[in-house]
Amino acid sequence: MIKADKLTKKFTTYKKEPGLSGAIKSFYQRDAIHKYAVKDFDLDIKSGEIIGLLGPNGAGKTTLMKMFTGIIVPSSGEIVVAGHVPSKREKAFRKKIALVMGQKSQLWWDIPALDSFLLLQKYYEVPDSKFNKKINEMGEMLGVTELFDVHVRKLSLGERMKLELMASLLHEPEVLFLDEPTIGLDLIAQENIRNFIKEYHEENNLTVILTSHYMQDVQALCKDLVLIAGGEKAFDGPLKSFEKVLGHKKSVYFTFKDAISLDDQFFKEKDVQVLKGGREIELKIDESDLRDLSSHIIQNYPVIDFHTEKIPIEKVMKSIMKNPEILNQ
Amino acid sequence: MGFLSEIKHYLRVYRRYLSTSASQAMSFRTSFVLLIIMDLLFTGSSYFKISFIYDHIEVIDHWVRHQLMFFVTFMLALNALNTTLLSTNFWMFSDDLKTGNLDYILLKPVSSIYIVFFRYIKPSGIPNIILTHSLLIYFGMQNNLGFIEWLMLPFLIVLSFTLYALIQFVISCSMFWLIEGLGINFLRLQMQELARWPDFIFSKYLRTVFMSAIPILLVGSGPVHFIFDRSYWYLIPLMLLLCFILYYLLHFIWNRGLTHYDSASS
Repeated sequence: MIKADKLTKKFTTYKKEPGLSGAIKSFYQRDAIHKYAVKDFDLDIKSGEIIGLLGPNGAGKTTLMKMFTGIIVPSSGEIVVAGHVPSKREKAFRKKIALVMGQKSQLWWDIPALDSFLLLQKYYEVPDSKFNKKINEMGEMLGVTELFDVHVRKLSLGERMKLELMASLLHEPEVLFLDEPTIGLDLIAQENIRNFIKEYHEENNLTVILTSHYMQDVQALCKDLVLIAGGEKAFDGPLKSFEKVLGHKKSVYFTFKDAISLDDQFFKEKDVQVLKGGREIELKIDESDLRDLSSHIIQNYPVIDFHTEKIPIEKVMKSIMKNPEILNQ
Repeated sequence: MGFLSEIKHYLRVYRRYLSTSASQAMSFRTSFVLLIIMDLLFTGSSYFKISFIYDHIEVIDHWVRHQLMFFVTFMLALNALNTTLLSTNFWMFSDDLKTGNLDYILLKPVSSIYIVFFRYIKPSGIPNIILTHSLLIYFGMQNNLGFIEWLMLPFLIVLSFTLYALIQFVISCSMFWLIEGLGINFLRLQMQELARWPDFIFSKYLRTVFMSAIPILLVGSGPVHFIFDRSYWYLIPLMLLLCFILYYLLHFIWNRGLTHYDSASS
């Protein structure tokens, strides 16, 4: 359904120094910066799959989505989506796909969502009976039927996101691109969106590419995962393989009454980072060692607080980039 | 059959634009009323300027008061159509490029040129369209237009409006490279200002440039010259030819612009 081969996108931006002098200087002489947002990216997704595209900020996720949907033209490489080359922007292709962007809206801001839906109905030539059935079904699934007549600018982010999802699915696309659809939403709203996507996918078997910062989105929806960092693919495989890294490592934060010294033999053997001038440390450990190491530190150092976190995705990405063998352990 | 169904598709979309724009405009009632008053004041002040000049002279070049009034009304009628049907879109286009809102437009299965330049309609301009077109009929009667001239008038308005729109579309395409649209939009407004005067008030050199290379003077002077003097017949096929050239130029530049488009980051 989606195939990318050595896909590359290079952007050119211009440096500008701050202030008036910078503005004047850049007016007649601009220093160009060329940057690869995506480089030699290969991908093969079969029909009906949901793939998670995960990566830190600036990794190239959104650029990839824009190339898959034909919004921007690749600098080099090839893509085929649903039998079409996206950059040709054929009408048949545009009817087969949909894109939801968590940070942008396709709904008209100053009118109720239903007016935007009616406009989309005309764009995609959806027959009245099908359109009515679709908005009623999805409205009920998402619990937003009573919001159809409310001005979009008056809606909460979570409510608007649900309506954005509806707007993108009115024409029953074969491929759905979701670019951080849960960004900025509270936990309940995130879960609602995830449940809807899952249910809709089960009923309609469309192909979905999902980008997200949140591992929970990917864990709830995807069997397979693609990791991207610095525009390059870092991992492409089953979610289970990736969870080995995420699941067995934890960050433990200890806060001390006074700054402590890390000269002890105990800390020398550990992956530890000093924070707040020695009054706090972050210790990266295996989950199985948590109990023993924590009790040792609490007993031997002036601990006033401690908490644990799963290692954030950015840190996992760094570890994988440094040592790709982690995934095979 | 395919072409006809496409036309029907676009008309159905346009009808929805009318509806969404009206719904949007009516959400801000005071602003809606103020915009109507502003348009009417603009039309009134344009007449006042011409009337004042003719209070002190008999003719400008070879046109008497009624003739110039007819020309001014023709341009005001075009201006009213332009303000109501197109002008908001030119300002929004720059915004779409800067914010990346163009992304969603490019995904729709309708020509992106059509969506960008036609989706916002200003319903508050409708009273001004009615007023200026009524005045055009009035000044047409003052100039004793014949049957053929009356018959030709709607066609000439459509032709002029098409040329006027195409010139502005082509100018606006440069926003793909400039991104900031303020300069381009003010340039476009200056072009409109030029077009509100008949070609003969300009020097020979400027007249040649603005009647051919950048045919902004042709928009009003072409049809009005033809109505008053049939020996200017050649201006009408010239306008048609320029419409075709500008149409293809627009598509060429637009496609180059889309290739250049980088979108905004998320």
